[in-house]
Amino acid sequence: MVHITINGKVVKATEGEMLLTVIKREGIDIPALCHHEAIEPTGNCRLCMVEITRAEWEGWKKHVTSCLYPVEDGLIVNTHTPEVIEIRKTILDLQLANCPNSEVIQKMAEEYGIYKTSYETVPEGDNCIMCYACTRICEVLGKSAISAVMRGHKKVIAPPFGEEPPDCIGCLACAQICPTNVIPWTDKDGTRTIWNKKFDLITCKECGKTIITKDFADYLMEQRDIPKEYFELCDDCKRMQTARKMGEIVTRAQEATL
Amino acid sequence: MKYQFEVIPSKCIGCRTCELACAFAHAKNQKPGKSRIYPLAYAPDKYVPVACLQCDDAACVKSCMFNALRRNEETGAVELDKERCVKCGACVAACPFGCALVDDVHDEIVKCDLCGGSPACAAFCPTKALVYKKV
Amino acid sequence: MHIDSIEKLSQWQTECRAKQTAQKRKVLVCLGPGCLAGGSDEILEEFKRIIAEKKLADITVDSIKKTGCHGFCARGPLVVIEPEGIFYSKVKKANVAEIIETTLEKGELVEKLLYKDPESDKKYTDYKEIPFYARQKRISLRNVGQIDPDEIEEYVARGGYAALAKVLAEMKPQEVIDEVSQSGLRGRGGGGFPTGRKWATCAKVEADIRYVLCNGDEGDPGAFMDRCIMEGDPHSVLEGMIICAYAVGSREGYVYVREEYPLAVINMQKAIDAAHEHGLLGENIMGTGFSYDIKVSRGGGAFVCGESSALMRSVGGEIGEPRAKYVRSVVKGLHDQPTVLNNVETYATVPVIMEKGADWFKKIGTPKSPGTKAFSLAGKVCNTGLIEVPMGISLRDIIYDIGGGIPDGREFKAVQTGGPSGGCLPADKLDLPVDFDSLTEAGSMMGSGGMIVMDDRTCAVDVARYFLNFLVEESCGKCVPCREGLYQLHHLCVKICEGKASEDDLALMERLSKVIQTASLCGLGQSGPNPFVSTVRYFRDEYLAHIKDKKCPAGVCRELITYTINDKCTGCLACIKVCPVDAITGEKKKLHVIDQDACTRCGSCYAVCNFDAVDIV
Repeated sequence: MVHITINGKVVKATEGEMLLTVIKREGIDIPALCHHEAIEPTGNCRLCMVEITRAEWEGWKKHVTSCLYPVEDGLIVNTHTPEVIEIRKTILDLQLANCPNSEVIQKMAEEYGIYKTSYETVPEGDNCIMCYACTRICEVLGKSAISAVMRGHKKVIAPPFGEEPPDCIGCLACAQICPTNVIPWTDKDGTRTIWNKKFDLITCKECGKTIITKDFADYLMEQRDIPKEYFELCDDCKRMQTARKMGEIVTRAQEATL
Repeated sequence: MKYQFEVIPSKCIGCRTCELACAFAHAKNQKPGKSRIYPLAYAPDKYVPVACLQCDDAACVKSCMFNALRRNEETGAVELDKERCVKCGACVAACPFGCALVDDVHDEIVKCDLCGGSPACAAFCPTKALVYKKV
Repeated sequence: MHIDSIEKLSQWQTECRAKQTAQKRKVLVCLGPGCLAGGSDEILEEFKRIIAEKKLADITVDSIKKTGCHGFCARGPLVVIEPEGIFYSKVKKANVAEIIETTLEKGELVEKLLYKDPESDKKYTDYKEIPFYARQKRISLRNVGQIDPDEIEEYVARGGYAALAKVLAEMKPQEVIDEVSQSGLRGRGGGGFPTGRKWATCAKVEADIRYVLCNGDEGDPGAFMDRCIMEGDPHSVLEGMIICAYAVGSREGYVYVREEYPLAVINMQKAIDAAHEHGLLGENIMGTGFSYDIKVSRGGGAFVCGESSALMRSVGGEIGEPRAKYVRSVVKGLHDQPTVLNNVETYATVPVIMEKGADWFKKIGTPKSPGTKAFSLAGKVCNTGLIEVPMGISLRDIIYDIGGGIPDGREFKAVQTGGPSGGCLPADKLDLPVDFDSLTEAGSMMGSGGMIVMDDRTCAVDVARYFLNFLVEESCGKCVPCREGLYQLHHLCVKICEGKASEDDLALMERLSKVIQTASLCGLGQSGPNPFVSTVRYFRDEYLAHIKDKKCPAGVCRELITYTINDKCTGCLACIKVCPVDAITGEKKKLHVIDQDACTRCGSCYAVCNFDAVDIV
């Protein structure tokens, strides 16, 4: 148990916890675009930066990304100083120049008073903010089907050599976790397409609703020990099947007591 | 403290009050959530309230690659951590009883969490077909 | 000879020294990067060819040696005749026969190849007296230019591996760390972090595996000190690394050499192989039971891989991207194990400190920055080349005494130090001492040793633009402030160069620079705005001239200058012939005229005119 000061208030925290977790727990709202509980923090977006100091630093302070900074006893944190706000504003301003069409970025920028970028809009800008959430989540899966390639401004998230990623199982974790929804995918006629790779979809035996891709089901069977039969029906039909099976048990029990 | 969620199908009349209670207990942004409990007819006028069985060896927990599903030791429920959930749908596909669901309105995956210790469905069931009690 | 005991090394050293003394005469041909580009490999071959034919008494083919960079690159190709130290500069292949006949056979000097001081007209025989060399003190470069890097025996003859033997035989690991700490040695890669403290922190971490790495990435444009050490004296780096490994307790290490230095890769590998062969590297070094091995790891062509965490990721087989370093890499580095990463020059200095002692080292340089520093002097200075000077020497002494001042009668404008992370310092800062701290206070930094001199025909805004462009291309792209911030900063700088910017743009750039410096993930981004920040600090007028007057005072920025022909024109047609867009018209012996609409400001006419008739306005 350690004690740290956030915006003047002393709070308790567990040693080694990341500063952002503690800040959020105290109900303080700071943006953290590349942060998600399911993945290791990397400090890419820089929006969660806060000012830290310690009593013995005699006024010297530094700025750190709270998602990656482990708390220590005696830490003094300020989350909304003018310098910190200037950092957040500038970053959102820059993001707006690179992702002009992203509603998520527009909304966040507006919260900080920026309605138009001060910089020149990047001509080939798409809405990818390079948070690496998609590559990190794919790593957690154990697949690492996509990665950041090229350097600097030319950096993009792509499968190896720009071809169909051999390791992708079409689980859509990357598309779902993306904070700006830039990974396109389609389900059509029993086929899912993502990263230019096509996957066969398993559909419900009874009602034909899409469940998941066959590759994803294989992965869950092998890696997570889920029996094959569980994937044959959609959740609606499985509930109905449960009702029927339970009903049989109830009927048999009632007949037995008669 | 150990709790048990008991379902007595013979008492279920299919009134769907539990479904309504659940939806409103999980309302967000002024919209009702998706119900986690469904009374379904297995024969004319014979109903079973299908709710999460909080399995000991839960398929949903096994299927989650991101450890978003964990047992709450106090309530006994298997809870879905919204912060960790990536919405890949593995649990929805894996649960053999269809008790992990997709809430399209709020764009999230949901499952029964026993309302954190006082299930709304049990509180509102008129026939006491759903009982949450200490053991 | 396989060195399986400390005594054997002594023996071997005696033998190697005897061999060297037995060679009465030596001809050292510099094969450093500059001389090599000037054809010194052909000169070497020519010497060998002729000597093989001639069969002289005290010179055989073995007396003709290739060496690493001798230092005076501006006067290369260089040939030095030992033991006299006769220094021949700007040697051509055609001169070789004459050198052999006149100097080696007759014992006389080839006057036309001697170095002549441009101011005093004095001719020098012994290179050590030439001002360029006289003020230097070569410690990390002690063997560079003096030995054949492929011959381990020459390294041993000059005392190589004796420091390692002393350390293994007489000192405990903690004592080695203490000695290095005492000496005050600070990292020569640019950071200036106390080396002893780094080793001590790493040694304290509890771990089974520790790594000792060498940073040979040298990405700064204009810097070639580490290159010359790796190419010219690779064993000094290895010896330093082995001493470090012994001190911190490491069994495995890598030399990370950038892909763009193929000769350095080859020479480091050759040195590693030779050291293995003689029992000086690998298992059971010198029979003492201490084992440490080194492999060469090649960079992939990225400036950002000179950053410590990116380098370690690159060595580990991952993408070369830095990570936020709230947990330092001495604690968790390569493969998450404690790792020491030091620069080539730092390791090359370590054996000398162990041999001569910390007190000896502290007497050189300044109290806070002891020792010497190697610099690659480049740009608009007469004596470009590789130098090593005691810390505390002033910029003025380096640029004027050693560097010989600014060529072509032009004026000094600024000196750029520290590479893209550093900054420009103007004339009124010339008396600042060169050390780790003084330059930083003035808004630049000493950096790894690149020193680029600029004259009055250099545009400060253009310099900022050049370095920003470099950084934009080399940014890894992970974090927003660096990737997007530097991109926009560069874009705005280009706008200024093109005369399209406003004063608001300048203010925006200054605000943006502050955020980039604070918010970037790694050192590349944090120091990225420095080229702009330092030039705007000292040359603000120049920026305002571009913005308000739409003029480039130095005559560089194309959109803002005009080339015109004045009445000194003799009508020689030279410029008309070289103009790539046929923008000049005129007849023989009549005034030529440049069509401004067609002119692309390439500068060819200015370069070719012998009559000073082209003006840049």
